Amino acid sequence: MTGVADILEWARQQVIARVPKADLDQRDPDYIRDQLPGLWMLASLYFRADVRGLHRIPAEGPVLLVGNHSGGNVPADTFVFTLAFCSYFGVERPFYQLAHNLVAIYPLLRGLRKFGTVAASRDNARLALESGAAVLVYPGGDYEVYRPSWQRHVVELGGRKGFVRLARETAVPIVPVASVGGQETALFLGREQWLARLLMLDKVLRLKSVPISVALPWGLNITDWLGHIPLPAKIVIEVQEPIEVDHDDQAVYDKVVASLQTGVDRLAAERRFPVIG
Amino acid sequence: MRVERRIIVNADRDTVWKVLGSPDCYPSLLPHLERWETITEGPPRVGSRYAVLWKIGSIPVGGIAEVVEFEKARDLAWINITGVTQRGRFRLRDAGPGRTIVTFRLAYHSDGGLLGLIADRIAARQVGRSLSESLKNLQRLVES
Repeated sequence: MTGVADILEWARQQVIARVPKADLDQRDPDYIRDQLPGLWMLASLYFRADVRGLHRIPAEGPVLLVGNHSGGNVPADTFVFTLAFCSYFGVERPFYQLAHNLVAIYPLLRGLRKFGTVAASRDNARLALESGAAVLVYPGGDYEVYRPSWQRHVVELGGRKGFVRLARETAVPIVPVASVGGQETALFLGREQWLARLLMLDKVLRLKSVPISVALPWGLNITDWLGHIPLPAKIVIEVQEPIEVDHDDQAVYDKVVASLQTGVDRLAAERRFPVIG
Repeated sequence: MRVERRIIVNADRDTVWKVLGSPDCYPSLLPHLERWETITEGPPRVGSRYAVLWKIGSIPVGGIAEVVEFEKARDLAWINITGVTQRGRFRLRDAGPGRTIVTFRLAYHSDGGLLGLIADRIAARQVGRSLSESLKNLQRLVES
């Protein structure tokens, strides 16, 4: 067993070594400006997106935006919100998004770093917040993003409270960002966490799930590592009121989850049909 | 991309200017406005700045606009210094006794090469509708 443990540890170190330390200078406002029209068309015509409540985000200074995560490895809500934020506040306002390590090192996704995507770690988030930037984080991460489609309107941050401690330590407000529609871009059948444990992916790659879904163009899609073509589900995002970190971690965490769930419930009540919206 | 709409209102230029020359009136004039904020202090003049965002398609589009022409009862023009590259103008001219022809022009240009050109063209219809609605709102305000 020692041999297996050594191999796992070696593999883990190999992955960690490839995760780039956040270089905030990689964000490129001019590159973002160039991409906005294409994203605007995708958001407006394909996803018929609707983003509300951006005025609730403090107009300046660092802020921790906490969202519920949907859409598997093609999270449409993330890019729609990034587009909306950059358009509302201007590409000049520094804005970073925390993403799973594998997203940060995936060669085809290098362009995301120019958008301000950095590997999700406390150090990277602190670095960005202390520089005065807005930071978007999805605490539910790979646990929430692969939830079954019939639980699409359930907020599941998985008890991860690191974001509360981060906000407390950096003295920044938390602004919840509720979204619906992302989990309708494919038919997600389950997380299959037992498979992730069996394959030891949780130890090597920090992957808690091996999701199974029915998605274009693959049909049955296992892992979603190659992504999928999302169905044109209507994406609706609503920014909630800011929450000050003035209580203990559990109380603030509960407040954030309640705010997100209330927002998701409100947006879900407006939907008449899946995908169509 | 340049979009232009005109309207003839039954009011003289000074009456129309009372609305157009007071940016505080703009939230009731411009439809689909997501954000309207006065950035500079004092009365409106050349150099005054405003944060202006309209909902075009799925998201608010706009930026910080700076007034570059402010000629009483004649012309009001602005350019965007952040966000989408844009020039806008309200042009007031006589259209007979007690009547004014108001022209609302918006010229804009998105970055992004071909995609920007396509996006500009797609947005033009909605921008045109917004300009028409703005002029109808103006007509309602000055003729009431």
